[in-house]
Amino acid sequence: MIKIAQLSCGTEYSGVQAEIEKAASIVGAKMVAPDVDLKDIDAAVEEFGFSPSSPQLKMMIARAVQLAHKRYDADAVFIASCFRCAEGALVRNEIRRYVQNHTRLPVVTYSFTERTKSGQLLTRMEALVTIVTRKDLLARERQVGLTAGIDSGSTTTKAMVIRDNEVIGKYWLPTAEVVPSAEEALENALAEAGVKLSEVEAIGVTGYGRFIVGKKLKAKLVQEELTVNSKGAVWLADRQKGEATIIDIGGMDNKAITVRDGIPDNFTMGGICAGASGRFLEIVAKRLKVDITELGKLADAGDYRKINMNSYCSIFGIQDLVTSLAEGNSIEDVASAACHSVAEQIYEQQLQEIDIRQPVIQVGGTSLISGMVTAMKDILGQDPIVPKNSQYIGAAGAALLASGFLEG
Amino acid sequence: MKVFIMPPNSLILFDLVERFGHEPLSAMKAIAERVTDLEIDSPPINVTSEDVKKGLKYAGIEVPSGIRGRLALWGPLIDEAEAAIIMEDAPYYFGCVGCHRTNEMVKYLLRKKGIPILEIPYPTNEEEAKFMVTKIKEFLEGLK
Amino acid sequence: MNEKNETRMIVIAPSSEITPDQVVRFLHSLGKNIAIKETCYGAMIEGKKEDVQLAVREVRKLDPNRIYSKLRGFPVGDQRRCRALHGSRPGFTQLEKEWEMLSLIEKGLRAAEKNERIAEKKKKGKLSMDDFKRIVKEVIG
Repeated sequence: MIKIAQLSCGTEYSGVQAEIEKAASIVGAKMVAPDVDLKDIDAAVEEFGFSPSSPQLKMMIARAVQLAHKRYDADAVFIASCFRCAEGALVRNEIRRYVQNHTRLPVVTYSFTERTKSGQLLTRMEALVTIVTRKDLLARERQVGLTAGIDSGSTTTKAMVIRDNEVIGKYWLPTAEVVPSAEEALENALAEAGVKLSEVEAIGVTGYGRFIVGKKLKAKLVQEELTVNSKGAVWLADRQKGEATIIDIGGMDNKAITVRDGIPDNFTMGGICAGASGRFLEIVAKRLKVDITELGKLADAGDYRKINMNSYCSIFGIQDLVTSLAEGNSIEDVASAACHSVAEQIYEQQLQEIDIRQPVIQVGGTSLISGMVTAMKDILGQDPIVPKNSQYIGAAGAALLASGFLEG
Repeated sequence: MKVFIMPPNSLILFDLVERFGHEPLSAMKAIAERVTDLEIDSPPINVTSEDVKKGLKYAGIEVPSGIRGRLALWGPLIDEAEAAIIMEDAPYYFGCVGCHRTNEMVKYLLRKKGIPILEIPYPTNEEEAKFMVTKIKEFLEGLK
Repeated sequence: MNEKNETRMIVIAPSSEITPDQVVRFLHSLGKNIAIKETCYGAMIEGKKEDVQLAVREVRKLDPNRIYSKLRGFPVGDQRRCRALHGSRPGFTQLEKEWEMLSLIEKGLRAAEKNERIAEKKKKGKLSMDDFKRIVKEVIG
């Protein structure tokens, strides 16, 4: 049983403790709380150096110190506090840094509301468990044999066929019905590769639809997208060794992951608001009556500073854009503002929960929109690496990891 | 009389209120009612998202869920209170409520009620402890 | 448990000669239909409200100013509050701290019995800005 240490404030009084425990148990883990007594708390707060007013936050610090000093044994760490609590947010982030500086445990942070349900936590918990239980598999850096990977995403389905560490076929299409979409993507990728399904030695599946697709295709690997996409990103970018940050902005959600030798040690996911995803850019393209593939170039020719965008909400954001157009602004400027809006949200929401490590690898469907890459560059003050086939990270990672089942 | 104690889970305040003939309103009372209700299943303390919504009576939606959930528990006891004892400057370990902002809000709600309130400093030595206990006795005996 | 039941903690002050074992034996001797569990600080009891409250009144008589009691939210042995499963809670550290303080409270109760009048200690105010400026000048010349 994988032990996930819970360092949190407010979960019981928000009615979400049972949801957290449920999510953990679904993925074969259990939540544990490092035991502390009075004298531990005083000493821990002094050592840590931040003395919050709330007793439960002091308790969180004391529990983190127990982990750092190896007085308590856990496999992973879940750090959570109430959404909108300033004191909680400060402590949550500093504890996350402290735990990362003092341990090699994988960490995930989360700010919850009373509406948080186990489903929202599931992928995060599953990733923590994967990192602990599949360490050897995740260490794989070369694909062997003939394998296929499928990323059954919320917006698009991607498939990739790899032979002896070389991409030989790939295909993507918008996700309609989950299984037929996956089958179609795989069929076309196989056709491009010029191989038959029967020749494929192993299939790996990730993404929202991974369970149903994995079952149908008798996949050897069915794994959440946090670890799979990380592996895919470092493999495609040829940055398998050392540290990196992966910014993965997909059609419906976004992820920011820090990795060490390709294995995530800290990650956050956003997925409540469409305003910080590819979906917003799709709506913008539709409103501007341009194809989504043209949006990036338009954005690169525009100046986001000319547009007054006051909202991150995709509905109100579009309203701002419509107003800007009515005021005579060019569609280039509007496209640029839309890309900046998404990048700013990623920066303000996800990148505050992790510490960026060099290099930054930008992936996911939106990385094909050059304006999005420009916007991230402006915000980060550096050029992100966008690997070839950057939208295929999930499929590539799944094919790479699935090949791990062929040996031994 | 029903006397709300702050910190709401204090052994000392609970004991003294009862010892001097009144009914303490405590965190334990609120929790006991909740955790023994077999109809609710949101362990460990059976606060549900519905409860957190009820906390809106005491604090707005921009207030973190943990505060609203706590207020949903203590709020009805504050409504019921006929008097209160607030121990000020207690060490942080006091109050399993755990959230400083909630503690401040609870004290404010009590003060706003206009009921008799004894605000007493946390003792640091024998003399202050004597002052505290005699003051509490005097306050409780004066409640009619 | 329901409205009619109650769980209580019986806490013995560190200055008392009474041991948790004595408290437990005494509680058994009352012959009431209550569950009794010995703990490091005293005992936990659970049963019908009237039985529990009578037991509290009686057990206090063993050492009135050094035996204390409070209600407990969770029933005895409730897994939801088990320290082994979930680690200690802030409420536990509070009990630890309050237990240490009971010897002082005992002295307070004795003073209250004798109707002693204790003067309130004046709160320390902050140094006025003028005084502070003057002192700074004096110190640094």
